[in-house]
Amino acid sequence: MATVEIEHVDKVRPGGQAVLHDVSCAARDGELLAVVGPSGCGKSTLLRLVAGLESVTVGVIRIGGCVVNDLPPQRRDVAMVFQSHALYPHMTVYENLAFGLRVRGTARRETDRRVRQVGARLGLEAMLERYPRELSGGQRQRTALGRAMLRDAAVFLLDEPLSSLDVPLRAEMRRELAELHRSLGTTMIYVTHDQSEALSLGQRMVVLAGGRVQQIDTPVDVYRRPANRFVAGFVGWPPMNFLRAESLADMVGAPAGEAGVEYGVRPECFAAQPGGPDDVQFTGRIERIESQGGEWYLELALRCGRVLVRLRLEQALTVGEPLRLWVRRADLHTFDATTGQRVESSGR
Amino acid sequence: MPEPTGVASDMGVPTRMARAGAYLGLAALAAVTLFPLLWMASIALMSAPQAAAGTPPLWPQHPTLANIINVISQQHIGTYFFNSLVVATATTVLSVLVAGSAGYALAHVGFRGRRVVSGLMVFGVLIPTQALVLPLFEMFREVHLVNHYAALVLPVAANPVGILLVQAYMRGIPAEILDAARIDGASEWRIFRSVAVPLMAPILAAVSVLVFVVSWNEFMWPMIAMQQENMQTLPVALAAIDREHYQNIGLMAAAATITMLPMVCVFVASQRYYLRSVIAGSLTG
Ligand SMILES: Nc1ncnc2c1ncn2[C@@H]1O[C@H](COP(=O)(O)OP(=O)(O)OP(=O)(O)O)[C@@H](O)[C@H]1O
Ligand SMILES: [Mg+2]
Repeated sequence: MATVEIEHVDKVRPGGQAVLHDVSCAARDGELLAVVGPSGCGKSTLLRLVAGLESVTVGVIRIGGCVVNDLPPQRRDVAMVFQSHALYPHMTVYENLAFGLRVRGTARRETDRRVRQVGARLGLEAMLERYPRELSGGQRQRTALGRAMLRDAAVFLLDEPLSSLDVPLRAEMRRELAELHRSLGTTMIYVTHDQSEALSLGQRMVVLAGGRVQQIDTPVDVYRRPANRFVAGFVGWPPMNFLRAESLADMVGAPAGEAGVEYGVRPECFAAQPGGPDDVQFTGRIERIESQGGEWYLELALRCGRVLVRLRLEQALTVGEPLRLWVRRADLHTFDATTGQRVESSGR
Repeated sequence: MPEPTGVASDMGVPTRMARAGAYLGLAALAAVTLFPLLWMASIALMSAPQAAAGTPPLWPQHPTLANIINVISQQHIGTYFFNSLVVATATTVLSVLVAGSAGYALAHVGFRGRRVVSGLMVFGVLIPTQALVLPLFEMFREVHLVNHYAALVLPVAANPVGILLVQAYMRGIPAEILDAARIDGASEWRIFRSVAVPLMAPILAAVSVLVFVVSWNEFMWPMIAMQQENMQTLPVALAAIDREHYQNIGLMAAAATITMLPMVCVFVASQRYYLRSVIAGSLTG
């Protein structure tokens, strides 16, 4: 068990490319910290820095309170599941799992016992004698996970471990990972580009973009109070609608007179009835309707721009009709139009 | 067999006819390549008068081992064979060690001046042996290694072609596999031994065959560096036998056949290493 502290870390590649800028974040003891961001934002680089596979340009990394900047990966007590799995192609599943134990001189019988135990836990008993090339994607993923589990490390680093799996298997493995974290109680840093994965798995999440930390918070708080326009648009699906301040004319009861701001409303925050006296009212024309199960996805044309609306509604809707919807004041996010930073409304 | 559309063969599924044609072509090629070698072996088994005919026949009338026995007992071919074997084996072992470690380092270990070293390797490939013979001879005389096996082994132990081949092959092996071993706690030496070397096995096999063959057939440098007769290698000795016994075709054929034999063995033994893909299945995508 250990904490991981990353403090003011910059990473500049040998070629001069700056990948991370002043990144600070920390995973508490036993916490599952999700790191999420678009492709190429530096997530894998961050994990490799923690693992010691690359060195920081500026800054400090501490594991369990000790500065590890100068420790090689072998001595950092971390386990890692790679984005590409990186199994040893010339070894069977059994040998892949046992390699770390053998390297550390574990007795043969003990190695065998633990490999079989982890193999059974991950449903790999029948695969132990196979080579990685003879496995399905999900089985390879489990093998990579098993190898990390047998490392018995204080910190678990997972780099998009589910990205190569199909959707049903991914959902299943996501549950298993959450279960694994609960039972092992190890500190985990989980990297993903899928915001829904971060929302569902992370106890807290770090949103990274362009090599900078955008926000660190619990998933609920990131979702409810995104720190800036980027986070607001990145976390949550379908993405948040953004309205320029000029579209205030469409809204009744919006906080008036604030120039240079942008409003954001999540598609699922619209309601067909007013919920309270200070709700904001929207009026627009229905442009497009899509039904998904019991839900409607509407495109509503306001006077300046369109918004996507997710609505649970019994009554039938027709394209071209006008529609009036309400949004709770608390669900109306305000961002500075130039900096993109969240503007806290004075009411709260 | 009815062929519904042309699609099947267009998609790269060879028809039976096409396959038969390919095999026929390959068989013809093999025959053309093998014919002179087999004829040579056949002449080695002929009696002296038969072999001495203007154009020797294809098949020995009364097969005899006389030429072979003669070449072994009178011409000391055993000594030369032994010399060649020692030199080629030592060269192969040394250059595989060097090529394996240097190629791995150039591909996967970040060190200062890696590019420069790579460039020098390419430069090394471009220098012809002939240009090196004189300076090499001076060098080896200086250190008293002329007429010594080391004179033939050392100059080719660091084989730039082998190093470049290994480097190119190892570049195709993702660094993450080695990183995984680091995370698993393996020392750099252990990673080399337990992960890199097994992954390199196919290219090391190819390099060893290449080096063995080149070393076995090397002529010019051994001729200069080994001036003592009992230290000569087979190709040099073969040339001497040819000069001395140019009328005795059977004897020459016997010596040549013995020279060639290990090459055949090496090729047959190493065949299965060529078409093996080791990294299949280790990575996603
Ligand atoms: N080996 C490398 N050499 C040069 N540039 C690299 C290398 N690896 C990554 N980069 C660059 O560093 C930046 C961050 O890469 P990184 O792999 O950390 O992104 P990521 O967030 O993990 O992306 P993804 O979600 O696609 O895996 C990218 O701009 C990438 O081009
Ligand atoms: Mg990545």
